[in-house]
Amino acid sequence: MTSYDYQEALKNAAKSMVRVKHPRRLLRMMVRFLDREVGLTHSSILIYDQFKARYIFIDSKGSQRIPVNLIKLDATNPLIRWFSDRDQLFKVKRDYLTTQSLSGWMEDPHSISNGSVAVEAKLRLRQLNDAMKTLKAAVCIPGHYKRELLGVLILGDKLNHESFTSEELSFFQTLANDAAMALKTAAYQEDLLAKNVELEMQKKRLQLQLKEIEALRKKEQETYYEIVMSLAQEVHAKDPYTSGHLRGVERLGVMTAQEMGYDLSGRAKDILVAALHLHDVGKIGIPDQILKKPSPLTEEEWKIMKLHPEKGAKILAPLSGFKEVAKIVLCHHERYDGAGYPAGLRGEQIPFESRIISVVDAFHAIISTRSYKKGYPLEAAYQELERCAGTQFDPRVVQAFIRAHKRLMAKSKDVEATPKTAAS
Amino acid sequence: MKLLIVDDEVEICDFLKSFFEERDYQVITATSGEEALEWVEKAKPKVVLLDIKMPGMSGIEVLEAIKQKEPGTKVIMVTAIETRDKIEQCLRLGADNYITKPLSLEYLENDVREKIEGLSRPSRN
Repeated sequence: MTSYDYQEALKNAAKSMVRVKHPRRLLRMMVRFLDREVGLTHSSILIYDQFKARYIFIDSKGSQRIPVNLIKLDATNPLIRWFSDRDQLFKVKRDYLTTQSLSGWMEDPHSISNGSVAVEAKLRLRQLNDAMKTLKAAVCIPGHYKRELLGVLILGDKLNHESFTSEELSFFQTLANDAAMALKTAAYQEDLLAKNVELEMQKKRLQLQLKEIEALRKKEQETYYEIVMSLAQEVHAKDPYTSGHLRGVERLGVMTAQEMGYDLSGRAKDILVAALHLHDVGKIGIPDQILKKPSPLTEEEWKIMKLHPEKGAKILAPLSGFKEVAKIVLCHHERYDGAGYPAGLRGEQIPFESRIISVVDAFHAIISTRSYKKGYPLEAAYQELERCAGTQFDPRVVQAFIRAHKRLMAKSKDVEATPKTAAS
Repeated sequence: MKLLIVDDEVEICDFLKSFFEERDYQVITATSGEEALEWVEKAKPKVVLLDIKMPGMSGIEVLEAIKQKEPGTKVIMVTAIETRDKIEQCLRLGADNYITKPLSLEYLENDVREKIEGLSRPSRN
């Protein structure tokens, strides 16, 4: 054994350790290496099993090997205590333990213990000796990480009965420390893996929660839609010419917005649809004799009539979720050139939904046989809109609306193709 | 202080034998159920450490036979199998304790000593 090149062995061992990802395999390699190269009655590795708070043998080789999986050592085992205790009972370094040094201490416990507790020290040393004997150990080398005892390398006597050299002992120590480091790294990686799994599970849970929220949102939307439709029907009942065909208004308005490239995902579409249906909700507050008057309105009557956007906004404002809708309703009689009412906003100051509504609404007024106007042919209606583009209407909205309407006409004949006949 | 250790793994028999011999027990080992029963008749051990999973006769069968032939013999089941069913079965058949591997040698020795001392004392009831 004296001719053995420990430097070289160490280098090789270190190299394999880097390669081996699974620390248990690495430890088994170490045991095989020691058994093959050093010549001992046995080479064994005891490691800490953190899940069960015990030390167990992971591998053992040699004629006097310790059966793996047979025994466990707990924290009270004298050997484990020796390497993990931080008590002041013994004044000696606990970097490794040999039967030789142990028998020396047992003969003279005072040499390593604090005088006053020599009796206890003596007992502890005897228990330690028994524990070593049970494990047929000649040398025990702890593997620490920081102050935590991760394992113990337990070696039997040399087959040639020689004692261990300090070179050998320091070699074993290096091995044990490297192994501890490898164990800790692997535990850390396992920890990371466990955390990853945990994260994945959290993600799954979140996805499920999102689904629930999505379902709730859908339900909420349905309720919202129901409110809107019942309000809209209220308006419709009061003034059948106002909104024309509700569904048709909805489709035309949405298509125009899409034609203009507006993003209608999430609540944006709800808001637009609600505003399309409810823009005239304020007419609920206009007296019937004005609303249903077959002849042109007087100036006084017009003043009252022109209050309907504000009345509508007032009706909607208290409803949670209708804030944006109220604002759109308020602005649906504003004009692109700033000559509208109630605020005289112009251009982009007017919400785009309001700009769309004013075109959709006007188109209906044109093509419907209103009590104050005879019906127009379709092309004439388009021309009328184009004539007012840039003054009353946003020209982009007009263009988009005409494109949308033409597409709708091509697709189906029944939506807005023929002007509705007036309800009697 | 006669102790019979039964395990199909020679290594385990040898290891436990030397552990108990160091503590002044008289130890016999057997690596099969059949061999164990012969020793029970011939040497009349006071305590038997009995592995369950063995080729041939299982530890449970050996337990049954021991309790029939020598009801006074204390039997400690030592095994890696740890199902509630197995434990209950063993206790029903008269096993005096049930220890799972990996085991604590201190606990095992205490238990063996307890069984032996219990035998040497007159019955408590």
